[in-house]
Amino acid sequence: MSIMEYNGGSVVAMVGKNCVAIASDLRLGNQALTIATNFEKVFPVTDRIMLGMAGLASDVLTLRDRFRLLVNMYTIKEEREIEPETFAHLVSSTLYEKRFGPYFIEPIIAGLSKGSNKPFIASTDVIGCINFAKGFVVCGTATDKLFGVAESLWEPDLEPEDLFETISQTLMNAVDRDAFSGWGVVVHVITPEKAFTRYLRARMD
Amino acid sequence: MPHQERRFNPYTENGGTILAIAGEDFTVIAGDTRQSEGYNIQTRYAPKVFRLTDKAVLAVNGFAADGNMFVQKVQQRLEWYAHAHNKPMPLKAIARLIQTMLYAKRFFPYYVYNILGGIEEDGSGAVYSFDPVGSYEREACRAAGAAQSLVQPFLDNQIYFKNQLPPPGGAHPRHLPLNDVLSLVIDSFTGATERHIEVGDGLEIYIVLAPNKSSVELERLPGVKRIQGTFDIAGDASPDVTAAAAAVGVTGEKMFVMRRELKKD
Amino acid sequence: MDHHPTNWGRPRDDRVDPYGTFPIHARPRPKEDAFGDAVKHTQQPIVTGSSVIGLKYKDGVMLAADNLASYGSLARYKDVQRLHPVGTSTILGAGGDMSDFQYIQHTLDSLIIEEFTYDDGNKLGPTEIYQYLSRIMYNRRSKMNPLWNSLVVGGIKSDGESFLGYVDLLGTTYQSPTIATGFGSYIAQPLLRNAVDEHPEPLTEEEALSIIQKCMKTLFYRDARSLNKYQVAKVTAEGVTISDPIEAPTVWGFAEGIRGYGAQTQ
Repeated sequence: MSIMEYNGGSVVAMVGKNCVAIASDLRLGNQALTIATNFEKVFPVTDRIMLGMAGLASDVLTLRDRFRLLVNMYTIKEEREIEPETFAHLVSSTLYEKRFGPYFIEPIIAGLSKGSNKPFIASTDVIGCINFAKGFVVCGTATDKLFGVAESLWEPDLEPEDLFETISQTLMNAVDRDAFSGWGVVVHVITPEKAFTRYLRARMD
Repeated sequence: MPHQERRFNPYTENGGTILAIAGEDFTVIAGDTRQSEGYNIQTRYAPKVFRLTDKAVLAVNGFAADGNMFVQKVQQRLEWYAHAHNKPMPLKAIARLIQTMLYAKRFFPYYVYNILGGIEEDGSGAVYSFDPVGSYEREACRAAGAAQSLVQPFLDNQIYFKNQLPPPGGAHPRHLPLNDVLSLVIDSFTGATERHIEVGDGLEIYIVLAPNKSSVELERLPGVKRIQGTFDIAGDASPDVTAAAAAVGVTGEKMFVMRRELKKD
Repeated sequence: MDHHPTNWGRPRDDRVDPYGTFPIHARPRPKEDAFGDAVKHTQQPIVTGSSVIGLKYKDGVMLAADNLASYGSLARYKDVQRLHPVGTSTILGAGGDMSDFQYIQHTLDSLIIEEFTYDDGNKLGPTEIYQYLSRIMYNRRSKMNPLWNSLVVGGIKSDGESFLGYVDLLGTTYQSPTIATGFGSYIAQPLLRNAVDEHPEPLTEEEALSIIQKCMKTLFYRDARSLNKYQVAKVTAEGVTISDPIEAPTVWGFAEGIRGYGAQTQ
């Protein structure tokens, strides 16, 4: 069995009109056995950037701490907040450092850039090859399901509430067809004015 | 050197995706028309959806040689049935026939996923889906094939209204109107074409209407063609076969096919 | 002495029943096929042909295949015809095992003769040959004893339409305006599709021949199991014609400058 499916879990991010959304499921599994249903896979990086990771849970936690360190170092050295695109490259190079013994996670970055409030999303593979997508990015054990639903539901220039509905429906319906993801969903939406987080009532089976 | 045995592999995968949705008084059965092996596109037009009777359509997906042979065997059994009973076989009986035929080859299976769609004797739209060895059930909608995992969750959401709350004081509709279903089918396939390399080229949608349902609005849609029913196999039936089909009341006046282009990359 | 009458006249097998004690209903049966263990199924092709290519054009279909039959990497037979006329409006091209192809030729020739003896005026066209071949190939694969070939069937149907189809050892079938088998599916198919699909009008015979020649030349340059000696067959309303072997003009001057080809050793 693949290490990428050992703990299960999925993440998706979408671009809206002057806003981004990123969401993950809450399951932590040991292969087919569900261990916890409060395992969040999306973490704040700055007030306007979030990082989601799907894959091996221990690497998710390791990298969450590692990126907190790296972003703190960046902030101290540069005396300014990191930009989403810069952070994406930081993620990429951190993963590529371990090119021949990789962390078993696929990350997704979502944020608004500081000056222009331009929405930004990106994902990479386990060794840091960046995918700067326009509309949405997905990763995790429900990748193909997420692609299928998102491709049909997503449209450009959604307002924050509509984007919230779109990403929620996409993730919930995708993870309901994935045995390794689900057991609750958390959605984060970032707008220039505010960011909000909602835990959704989803199927718990 | 120790002799290692390399066995002939009698199977391959030919890509593509099929989909069927049942309405209250109609059924839509669709499939893309690309046939591939690995990264090689063999042809851009190889039908995967076949008319069986004037009320039943079968979509087959998986190993194309098994699929084509299976469809021809089903069609032959249906022709025999029609001659013996002087009527076409009812949909639920076709479903059971297919299960028997699939299970008969349990230990050398047809590597094919089948979806049977059509109109039941009570006039309701119905979809039956099968696994390669004959397990089957009646459903309202089903996707199968290469892009099943992309399409099925979308259908859960849009057909079964999964994860959607009903309007206050109301309930979700049990069946969708034909136009909505056609839009969903087209959206499903354009989405699958975008994200799956084995899906594309063309889309063939069969629409079967219950006897009492009007076809006026359907025939106004672009690319919709009424099809005449016979029991022919290759599309060029001999006159006596056509006559035999007509004699048992198989005229196919309520079946339509809609062809659309999909991206070819 | 074997005391069971049902066993009289049958070879006695002392290993199974040394004292002839079997009751009648369970007497030792001979195997259904006494030589069953000796029957060998085709596990791999031996003497092989390479690509077959074909396309539809204005007046019908055109097929081409080179004249080489290889024995592994050895160019064993250099004057083999891999295009075979079937009836009066069909041409069959074959790659893969050449002995299996000869068996298929024999089977089809017998079929045509049998049809001829009926004298009912019925002619087998390309669709019939295609269906017949697909059944033979599928049945053999289902017996786990395949005929190890990729076949291309071309012809003119009774209604005047052209026909081009493919059948292989698995029983896989398809029809397409252009077909290329084997190595040709990588090298020739893109050239053929570019010529046919992108062309608003059906190709003329001259255009069809020129693209076929281009494909065969390119295949000769890049396919190590090919030969610069090939035949082109066409089926039109006038019937089937198979050309004499053709040689494509090739240029090898550039090879001198390429490391590994020319005189230099390093």
